[in-house]
Amino acid sequence: MPSPTVANVRRRVVRWPRVSSATLIGYAFVMPLMLWLAATILYPLVASVALSLQNIKIIGSTGEYVGLENYSRILESPRFGEALQRSAIWVVGNAVVQTVLAFAAALTLKQRFVGNRLARIWIILSWIVPTVVVVIIWRWLLSASGIVNYALVNLGISSKPIGFFSTGDTAFASVILINSWRWFPFNAVIFLAALQRIPQELYEAASVDGATTVRKFFHITLPSLRPVLFVMGLIGTLMSFNVFDVIWLLTGGGPSGATTTLPVLIYETAFKRYRLSQAAAMSVTTGVILLIFAALFLRFLSPPSDTDEE
Amino acid sequence: MAHRLRHAVPLGFAVLILMTVVIAPFYWIFSASVKAPQEIIARKPTLFPQSFTLEHYDKLLGHSNFPTYLQNSLVVAFGTMVITVFLSTLAAYGLYRLRFPGRNLLFRVILITYAFPGVLLLVPLYDMMSTLGLVDRLVALVIVDVTLAAPFAVWMLQAFFRTIPQELEEAAALDGASRLGIIVRIMLPLAAPGVASIAIFAFITSWTEYIFASILIISDANRTVPVGLAGIIGQYQVDWGLLLAGATVTALPVLVLFGLVGRNFVEGLTAGAIQ
Amino acid sequence: MRNNLAKSIVLLVIALLILPHMPATAQEKVSITFWHMEQPPYRVERFQTLIDEFNAANPDIEVKQEAQNWGEIYTKAPAAIAAGNAPELLFAIPDFTPILRDLGAVQPVEDFVAELDAQHKFYPAAVAQYTYDDHTWAVPLWNMAHSLWYRKSVFEEAGVEVPATWDEWLAAVETLTKEGQYGIGVPANKQLYTDQTVYDLMINGGADEIYNPDGTLRFNNPQTVEAFDMYSQLYRFSPPDSPGWTWGEAEACFANRTCAMILQFTVITTYDTQAEGDPEDLGVAPIPYKEGVETPGTISYVNAVMILTDDPAKQAAAKKFISFLLEPENYGRFLNAEPGLYLPVTEDGSTAESYWNDPLVVKYKSQVEVMLDNSTSGRLFGFTGGNTFPSIATISAQNLLAQTLQMVVIDGMSPADAVEEGQALMEEAIE
Repeated sequence: MPSPTVANVRRRVVRWPRVSSATLIGYAFVMPLMLWLAATILYPLVASVALSLQNIKIIGSTGEYVGLENYSRILESPRFGEALQRSAIWVVGNAVVQTVLAFAAALTLKQRFVGNRLARIWIILSWIVPTVVVVIIWRWLLSASGIVNYALVNLGISSKPIGFFSTGDTAFASVILINSWRWFPFNAVIFLAALQRIPQELYEAASVDGATTVRKFFHITLPSLRPVLFVMGLIGTLMSFNVFDVIWLLTGGGPSGATTTLPVLIYETAFKRYRLSQAAAMSVTTGVILLIFAALFLRFLSPPSDTDEE
Repeated sequence: MAHRLRHAVPLGFAVLILMTVVIAPFYWIFSASVKAPQEIIARKPTLFPQSFTLEHYDKLLGHSNFPTYLQNSLVVAFGTMVITVFLSTLAAYGLYRLRFPGRNLLFRVILITYAFPGVLLLVPLYDMMSTLGLVDRLVALVIVDVTLAAPFAVWMLQAFFRTIPQELEEAAALDGASRLGIIVRIMLPLAAPGVASIAIFAFITSWTEYIFASILIISDANRTVPVGLAGIIGQYQVDWGLLLAGATVTALPVLVLFGLVGRNFVEGLTAGAIQ
Repeated sequence: MRNNLAKSIVLLVIALLILPHMPATAQEKVSITFWHMEQPPYRVERFQTLIDEFNAANPDIEVKQEAQNWGEIYTKAPAAIAAGNAPELLFAIPDFTPILRDLGAVQPVEDFVAELDAQHKFYPAAVAQYTYDDHTWAVPLWNMAHSLWYRKSVFEEAGVEVPATWDEWLAAVETLTKEGQYGIGVPANKQLYTDQTVYDLMINGGADEIYNPDGTLRFNNPQTVEAFDMYSQLYRFSPPDSPGWTWGEAEACFANRTCAMILQFTVITTYDTQAEGDPEDLGVAPIPYKEGVETPGTISYVNAVMILTDDPAKQAAAKKFISFLLEPENYGRFLNAEPGLYLPVTEDGSTAESYWNDPLVVKYKSQVEVMLDNSTSGRLFGFTGGNTFPSIATISAQNLLAQTLQMVVIDGMSPADAVEEGQALMEEAIE
């Protein structure tokens, strides 16, 4: 990826005596992390590909080479496609809810008010506790005899308690909201940080020109946030696609499979249905899908240079 | 005056809703955890405890290995924090302060590691750890948690490394400082708020990790808090009192920690903004 | 550097954690680790009391327990076996054993069981659930069976008699459903508890056999369909969150008087600590049956322990420990780790003072007697009719009975269609 602005580069980058070694030194700094990631991701990945070409059912047993049979199987069975669809809804649902909430929160916290400092710190509360705690909290709040149902019934909103995890749609919506509840404060803080990096002069100049608040948002705020939105969009999507523990601990993928996203299906296939190789094939396929997504995302949405933008 | 009020009322309202959404659920479990069992499962919930008891905490701390779980979680989270800070700071320095061909690609590769489902890595990683003799060792969790935390941490550091004036580094280089010396003596102190932020990020990532800890750790003596707590959920009986006490005790250490360093996290992230 | 630092910290802490548990003379000892899935702290504590006594009496053996979770053990045990760090002893339920046996990790124990049988007299049904393919694969430790739990005062107030048949049951459930009270709580989670309650109805609807004698599936039959139909009718009177229930939520629902009745192994501990705790008012009865069914009954699980080690010294030590647990003076205390839940599987255990002397058992004696009585008609899917089909393990691991129920009560399929689909899933599972 060639750098577009040579002049800019000269100004910003230290030139060490031997230019040819700059590359080496650069790699030397990044290498420890790369090696770490290779050992913990690349190796398991290769192992998974090998696993997916065999017919191992349960961990610890042996199998034989079966070529691409597992792949043709998962593509034929409706399960994989359905789960993929659910994952897509999951990702989009989470992205929409979290982005809206995070933006609202960030814009609120950017204002000056008494207790602003405390609010900025403690808004992140839901992100710092383990998923298990999140699960306990919401199972407890949303149970038939829980406070939420008690409030709904006594305020006359519902005539009888609602089983939030009892129908497919409400369960899916609940899990998305709970996951968003957990993550939006974190996103909000990242957004807040980015918002504060926008030079105040831009807004002042726009005010002088008579720009409305809405106009300022679309012409100053959003464009300035593009690099952050780009990385959050990419990593956020990948991370939320792979969310497993919240769903598993809250609904186990149910009721009746309604919240079985791909990671849940993979876990179930490997560890409940004992089709380890099939699960590996699903994982590899999922990985490929996500890579394609990431490649497209990078190709069409990336800012000019991610390591370089001001 | 009227103008300020018009502004203040909706703002106050927004802040109130925001904090309620985040904090009220916590109040609810904290307050319930000191209620007597009958009051906890009573059909009519009570906003303020009508009874007060510490029996759930007594049961939790006296009859289970919770203190051990806490200790283990702290060890793992601390280890993850140290290694993540080390690896990410190096990488971020390389990516954001040096210019060499392919660094943009490297940055993207690092980000894209999140494309692989954690669930997928479960089996091969277990295999790997068991070959290395690391199953049921806390080290195994540190290794995995660093992988989960480091890539994002690299990105979080960018704003800090970018805002540090290049001249400082040049001056030091002319004075004959070694590159490591520059990092330690100039870059780190200037990027300190950012480093603090990623340290906290790594700590929390590790503190909350559940799946790998549930598979890679076997013995009770090495369990971390999330897994230990999930164990207490049990299957045969739901002792809500015990569970809520467990949730509270699990949340407490990070609350204290965050109370102490939370400012660094949030202000650290926003520090690059001042210029 | 930092890496090493972290490592040393970790190692230091591990050492600190392990050291106090290890006497200095540990080298000479045979160490036995046993995994069980009885995680509630007071159960672990009771087990530890017995372990400490055993270790004190046998200075050459060191027994250690590790409480695991049913949710993870299906993953963890095979993984541990594959990695070579499996425990010497692992607790089991009948449909868990075949999975590990297929990995070649489970030692046959028929000789040892015969030895124990001579001393304590096992109930034959207990051993049968672990005997197939010419061997016995685990040593029975206790039995668990479902009963119908209710409050006498609630029934009296509503003018309801204890139901014996399905018609009476439905009528009672309907009468008991009123403001703030559900007539019954039945789960619809895709989880073992639901499998169990579904099978309760299958037994009492005359559909206890899932397999034909030749090993083919006969799940799809009119009796099964009727049992699912009955279940879906009961479900209509069940709390709205019951699709998320495991055992605990059902008990809580009963304890706080939201559910008028539930099907459960036991509610005694919860009832005693979190509800009124009045033994006079706690009712327990056999599960109602469809009129005309000849052999009503209940689901029952014999829990057992598998020996996974092939090292003779360790095997001997493990057997010594198992024998210790089954000695009448210890056995009752072992069972009362959860009073009223674990029922004896040996004749001398059923009469052992150590069993009947427990304060909770004394307090709820009449209930425990009914439970014991119910357990004599206990059965388990895949282990009926004198045949045992190990392939039930994969059906059970996937909770296909529960999944079939969800098709009816969540997706709104007709019971007949759901049962047909359920059999197809089972066939796919055992292929």
